[in-house]
Amino acid sequence: MSAEVILIIVVGTALVFDFTNGFHDTANVVATSISTRAASPQVAVAFAAILNFVGAFISISVAATVANEVVDAAVVTPTVVFAGLIGAIAWNLATWYFGLPSSSSHALIGGVVGSAIAASGFDAVLADGVVGKVLTPAVVAPLLAFLVAGISIGIVYRIVGKQRPGTVTRGYRFGQIVSGGMLALAHGTNDAQKTMGIITLALIANGSLPEGADPPFWVIFSAAAAIALGTYSGGWRIIRTTGTRIIKMDAAQGFSAQGAGAAVILSSTHFGFPLSTTHVINGGVMGAGAGKRLSAVRWGVAGNIMMAWLLTLPAAAAIGALTYGVTHIFGDGAAGPVLVSIVALALTAAAFVRRARQAPVPVS
Amino acid sequence: MAVVIETKELLETIAASLVAGIGITVVFSIAIWGAARFVDLSVSERRLAAIGAAIVGITGLLATLAAAGFGLAVMMSE
Repeated sequence: MSAEVILIIVVGTALVFDFTNGFHDTANVVATSISTRAASPQVAVAFAAILNFVGAFISISVAATVANEVVDAAVVTPTVVFAGLIGAIAWNLATWYFGLPSSSSHALIGGVVGSAIAASGFDAVLADGVVGKVLTPAVVAPLLAFLVAGISIGIVYRIVGKQRPGTVTRGYRFGQIVSGGMLALAHGTNDAQKTMGIITLALIANGSLPEGADPPFWVIFSAAAAIALGTYSGGWRIIRTTGTRIIKMDAAQGFSAQGAGAAVILSSTHFGFPLSTTHVINGGVMGAGAGKRLSAVRWGVAGNIMMAWLLTLPAAAAIGALTYGVTHIFGDGAAGPVLVSIVALALTAAAFVRRARQAPVPVS
Repeated sequence: MAVVIETKELLETIAASLVAGIGITVVFSIAIWGAARFVDLSVSERRLAAIGAAIVGITGLLATLAAAGFGLAVMMSE
């Protein structure tokens, strides 16, 4: 009975994480389109939500979750996964609260690493996996997108710089709809799979599915629906940061940032070197600004974002470890996860209510 | 460390990202240049030059659509 309760809590928490993943990462897909008025905010988030939903069905190759490559699979229990998810959700909500775009994947990895350390010590961490799958991509992704977008915008201005602004702006706004669509599909494909993988692993660990089973349809559908709903809810604070606070963007810069982002994400997916969508898009936005003029980038805002990226892994790990420790006080049964879930829900509701009482966020 | 970082995949990703990212921006910009020149040349009634600009623009647009289609195919194949 206790195992079933924990399984239900893990599935529910994974779907909540998926929702915050969509909610947090809406900015990656729509911020530049909204900022350049390529699409209205409502249309942009609806379009992104639909394509995130569709993207989740494109591929179900969930043979291994990222978390499995950074911690020893033998120490991963449903309670470790639960504590890791709480760490990731807490960090996603904290960065949303302050309007900072940070990687949901790295938050998830950090949360699971922290809870695994709390459960089994530092031997549970696969250092090679952390360096190869987390730290190196975290450095490469923004730099690569920065370079591609920076070179692209330089070439763009040389090609169309002397043409009528009206036709040029309309053209790049149209281009942003297409590149934004590609990003939304790629995001749905990559990120919804993490939740599908976690739920599937929990079902296998519980004996509800045989070893090596594919995710059942209800898992695929619920993961797709959760990320799409999260996307539709729109993390407006982060949309504002990515869309208007890093640089004041024109349509050509928006297209260069999104085109660079889509190209980098698809290339990395194809060659098996997965990169964070958040790092790529924000690096692309900074590159599109710096390619026009270095001083066009608000480096103070960029510095805050990079600080959030640096803190993501240790902060989510600390919360994951703390959550595991609190859960463990109540033994191996369901009491700990139930209690932590209630407290987490109450804190989340308080954060939303506090933000809702403040002035609405202008996004364009 | 070279094994940990998967150098081959990293270099392939960097090369492909540069080619694809800059390539798609260039071909789409050529499409927009063609459209903008077509409008200008049509207004000044230089029909032959306008047709030439339109051909350049359509070629750029087709190249962009082909690149987007390739991107979709990559996504579907993973």
